[in-house]
Amino acid sequence: MSLALALLQAALLVALAPLFSGTIAAIKARLQMRRGAPVWQRYADLARLFRKESILSTDASWLARATPYVVLGASLTVATWVPVLFASSATSFAGDLVMTVALLALVRVLHALAALEAGTTFGGMAASRHMALAALAEPALMLSVFTLAIAAGSTDLARISRAVAAAPHGWLSPSHLLALSAMWLVVISESGRVPVDNPATHLELTMIHEGMVLDYSGRHLALLEWAATVRQMVLFTLVVNLFLPWGIALEPSGAALGTALLAWIGKLLACAIVVALGESLTAKLRLFRVPEFLGMAFLLSLLALTSNSLLRG
Amino acid sequence: MPLAGLDGALFAAAIWGLAAAALFPAIPLPSRFAFLSAASRAAIARPVAIAGALALAAVGALGLAGVVPAPLRWWPGLPGDPFMLGVDALAAPFLLLLGLLTAISLAARHPGPEEGPAGLVLHIGFAVALAAVFAAQHALLLLVAWEGMTLLSAALVARDTRSARARRAAYVYLVISHIGAAAIGFGLMRLAALAGSFGFPDLAAALGRLPAGESAALVSLMSAGFAVKLGLAPLHVWLPLAHPEAPAPVSALLSGAMVKAGLYGLLRFGWQMPGSPPAGWGVTLAVIGLFTALVGALYAVVESDAKRLLAFSTVKNAGLLALALGIAATLLRAGYVPLAGVALAACLYHAVGHGLAKGLAFLAVGEAVHAAGSRDLEKLGGLARRMPRLSVAALIASLSLSGLPPLACFAGEWLLFQALILGLAAGGGSMRLLAPFSGAGLALATALSAAALVKLYGIAFLGRPRSAAAANAKPPPRAMEVWLLVLAGLGLAWGLAAPLAIAALALPISAVLGPGFDAASLSGFGGLTLSIPPEAFASISPLAVATLIALFVGLVFAWVALRGLHPGVRRAPSWACGVSLDARMQYSALGFTKPLRLIFRPLIRAESEISILEEGSPYFAQKYRYRSAVPPLAESLVFSPMVQAVFWISTQARRLQAGSLHVYLAYLLVTLVALLMLAR
Repeated sequence: MSLALALLQAALLVALAPLFSGTIAAIKARLQMRRGAPVWQRYADLARLFRKESILSTDASWLARATPYVVLGASLTVATWVPVLFASSATSFAGDLVMTVALLALVRVLHALAALEAGTTFGGMAASRHMALAALAEPALMLSVFTLAIAAGSTDLARISRAVAAAPHGWLSPSHLLALSAMWLVVISESGRVPVDNPATHLELTMIHEGMVLDYSGRHLALLEWAATVRQMVLFTLVVNLFLPWGIALEPSGAALGTALLAWIGKLLACAIVVALGESLTAKLRLFRVPEFLGMAFLLSLLALTSNSLLRG
Repeated sequence: MPLAGLDGALFAAAIWGLAAAALFPAIPLPSRFAFLSAASRAAIARPVAIAGALALAAVGALGLAGVVPAPLRWWPGLPGDPFMLGVDALAAPFLLLLGLLTAISLAARHPGPEEGPAGLVLHIGFAVALAAVFAAQHALLLLVAWEGMTLLSAALVARDTRSARARRAAYVYLVISHIGAAAIGFGLMRLAALAGSFGFPDLAAALGRLPAGESAALVSLMSAGFAVKLGLAPLHVWLPLAHPEAPAPVSALLSGAMVKAGLYGLLRFGWQMPGSPPAGWGVTLAVIGLFTALVGALYAVVESDAKRLLAFSTVKNAGLLALALGIAATLLRAGYVPLAGVALAACLYHAVGHGLAKGLAFLAVGEAVHAAGSRDLEKLGGLARRMPRLSVAALIASLSLSGLPPLACFAGEWLLFQALILGLAAGGGSMRLLAPFSGAGLALATALSAAALVKLYGIAFLGRPRSAAAANAKPPPRAMEVWLLVLAGLGLAWGLAAPLAIAALALPISAVLGPGFDAASLSGFGGLTLSIPPEAFASISPLAVATLIALFVGLVFAWVALRGLHPGVRRAPSWACGVSLDARMQYSALGFTKPLRLIFRPLIRAESEISILEEGSPYFAQKYRYRSAVPPLAESLVFSPMVQAVFWISTQARRLQAGSLHVYLAYLLVTLVALLMLAR
């Protein structure tokens, strides 16, 4: 039962991830007074890419062929233990919050290495920026993890979710809200959105994620793009279900799961609107202003942790 | 028990086998053995040494299982106890690591035709000295072995005597090591004088009888000496100089095993003594460790020499080990014994895990740069296509050293994070400040190392070759690649079976920590999961994660294959915006880390300068020169003032030497009078 639920949650994440991405793009288009592509555009993109031939550089080694599969595999592995509907998972023995962060780092490293395969400038530029910004985001992320783990008494994802859901106004504490804001900034940076990266651009001076997959095509590109949407979905699900686990099912009954599904979709829709608003209202930062942005995330998370230990006395 | 006697024989075989193999090619033989040429003697010595090293690893593994062989003793003709070599619980994991690394570094050695037996003799001799350091149970023998380890490795560092860089590295290494050895020697000899014996239990008893202040001072002094060998900042400057200069198999031993001798000393003489660790020892060690980890990671990122980059990564990991040890001691003093056990488990597990990964990294990368003719990343590239099997080993090493799951260096960091979170949650004085900064700093150091290793593997092995030598690099002999893949497999097993490995470290952990914690309790479900004991605070399973990833990769692969729309891959040249691609269009190693170099410029004071050599039109100069350097700050800020102080003192002292006989006679007179007054 619990294993079936874990697979169902992972399947939901994987199946709906392109829709989430497409929804953000659609809302953004509306905010900018454009008609924009339909919300299911990403599915059509993936289907088209899967039908196309995959071309690899003559300079690429075996790693370039393996990376898309391992990246998607690692992203799917994380998806099995993220609390989506039900705050417990059959695979939560295998991974906690620290393991999640580390598997996302594995994906990042493989991405950066694959970007260096073709021997072009854009790949190197993107990989270099990606690794630099990730290094700055990591301390803020880790302190947010500390804050959550100390408040909930565990780094297990389902337990954190349960602990926050159990305390009726627990999410209103200053440390929780500060950690949430820090985590939000990190998630914006990690999922490659404005103001850190621009998912809509192919302009070589600004891109990070696009630059890393520039030399991929066909099914390999489809796998990488799909994995990226899954990762974005996982990150936003973590934000909403760890920090604001309203409506999450605490026992596996049909009614509770239904409520949880509605709550989850509603919360993600809210996230999509906030992200789209943010992307429309702010401009992308210059690369060397991004450390200040991530420095702010670090400061917020440090404040979260400090206020946590101060308020607990 | 049936093993009785066998373990002792194995231990004796290991030590004597290694020692005989080291001496056999070196000693002059009587003329009737003249048919044994130097080459054939080396050819005999190497397998003997490999067998001895494997026996040593077996002794270490048995030691972890609690089988303690009878110690080897001999009487060197000095007053006091006989020299004694033995295996106890604390030495066992270090001997296991040393045995494995020695065997593989010897097996993977393929010297050029011009090399005489000296390299092999020094290599095996160095391993013998290291084994004696870990197995010595006699203070004087420990000091002799320690000195042997330093001298033999310095000789290996300076093997290429024509290279000024190697000579300077060996010199700096010798000087700094001897400062450390002096501190250790003073501490041990003081204790031996108090105890009237060289045996470790007697030394511990003597320390216990000292007043608290003096015992803390002695322990701190010895700890400082061991910290030099561990390479803690700012005394780490010798490490990135010396480790890269030795041949790759020796670098693997230096970084993989010798650095751990510092950790071993800290555990045995800093902690495992009555009344130790002294107050403040843990916090000091943790702060220095965190600083070292950040320094190592930051300098690894900006380094463009492949082997120096790995040496800086060793500095980072030495910092991590010291941090884990310091956190463990702090938690123990605050009374949280199980949490201290978790941090100590992190430390010992990571010591072995890092040893395996760094040994592999030095062997694989060392072999690759040897084949490509340069250690400079700017002259490498595209090696993965030229030596695919070696590139697999190098990739596994790079990913492991980046602290990624489910490989050898991840579970240790996970345990340390758990200890930090739980220590902070438990409250308790210094942890309140130490834990958040350690957590954030460790995360930063790990992410920076990942950037450094992406640079190492990505620039050296991927893309296009940046020099003709790299383009023509030939893969090493098949046997060597197989040995490297064996070591990669050992590292993978250490990572995947992390819960079992940590349970196997239970004896050394309780030997250091005392009762109240059993590391086997961290392992759950028959070794599948690693979890924190009080009602499973959290749990991970590297094996399950690897299985899940493999399962999903298989499913996705099968799905793609079954849909069969476009199964093949076409190869085409990379697109370079319409012009033909040139290796120089790739990102260079320098360019790759430019964002980090700029972001951290206030800390590392990186310099760069562009000068125009030939003016063309105002916007397009004909020729530029770009210079970039990262100054070694530890040398200029810490060591230069010390060296200058020594010079100043000696200049002042030179005034005494006036060169006049009368003045010297006056000195004699003053000394004599002073002595008479003192002696009365």
